[in-house]
Amino acid sequence: MSTAPGCLHFRFAMPSDPRYLPVVRGAIGPLATAIGWDEDECRAIILAIDEAVTNVIRHAYHNRRDGLIEIECRENTEGLEIILLDNGEAPDMSKICARELGCAQPGGLGTHIIRKVMDHVSYERSAGGNRFVASKILRRTP
Amino acid sequence: MKINVRDVGEAKVVEVEGDVDLGSSPAFRRTLFDLLPHSPRVVLNLQAIRYIDSSGIATLIEVFKDSQRLKMQFVLFGLSPAVEQVFRLTHVNRIFTISRTEQEALGTL
Repeated sequence: MSTAPGCLHFRFAMPSDPRYLPVVRGAIGPLATAIGWDEDECRAIILAIDEAVTNVIRHAYHNRRDGLIEIECRENTEGLEIILLDNGEAPDMSKICARELGCAQPGGLGTHIIRKVMDHVSYERSAGGNRFVASKILRRTP
Repeated sequence: MKINVRDVGEAKVVEVEGDVDLGSSPAFRRTLFDLLPHSPRVVLNLQAIRYIDSSGIATLIEVFKDSQRLKMQFVLFGLSPAVEQVFRLTHVNRIFTISRTEQEALGTL
């Protein structure tokens, strides 16, 4: 997906400090609303992106608060694309799995939420760090 | 996030207001785990929660499991739309005892 003319595209950076999570939620919500999702879907998108940033803080930076997280939000002709970049530890792909639902186990819920809400999710590791990409298509009702 | 605890008979009623996320869930967890051994009944009001993430849900699951171990009651009520949606997404509503009102939650004990 590429950015279309007339579409919003913004980028910001934050420390890997949980006190900035409300700022991320505050940025994603109005963007999702402007693109056209309803209140329920906007809440779900906010949750999915917050979970992705939380995963970076917990797993890439091991709760260190001085890591760098870059967040890029891109509206496009199909919907929304979010890219997270960090310089922390590479994700262990064997541990990135959704848990069995409905059981009384506390772990793995965040990954499940991200995959359930977003249409496409990918993780990449390069020399520059970790790259997480998630996108969601806006399905317009006729 | 704000947490208020009050006594209703033998029960502790816990009211949570605001956002429960990675930053605030440790305090949320600490409050609930501190209460459990001192009360046979903990009732949690989720009506004023604007946002809850998977760390908040994980805390609820841990507290629920501990309440079972201690043979105590842990009841949720007043699910806000934000809480209801996360419960729906994660299918955890079947795990908990959920009531609509405080009165009903206290009555189920």
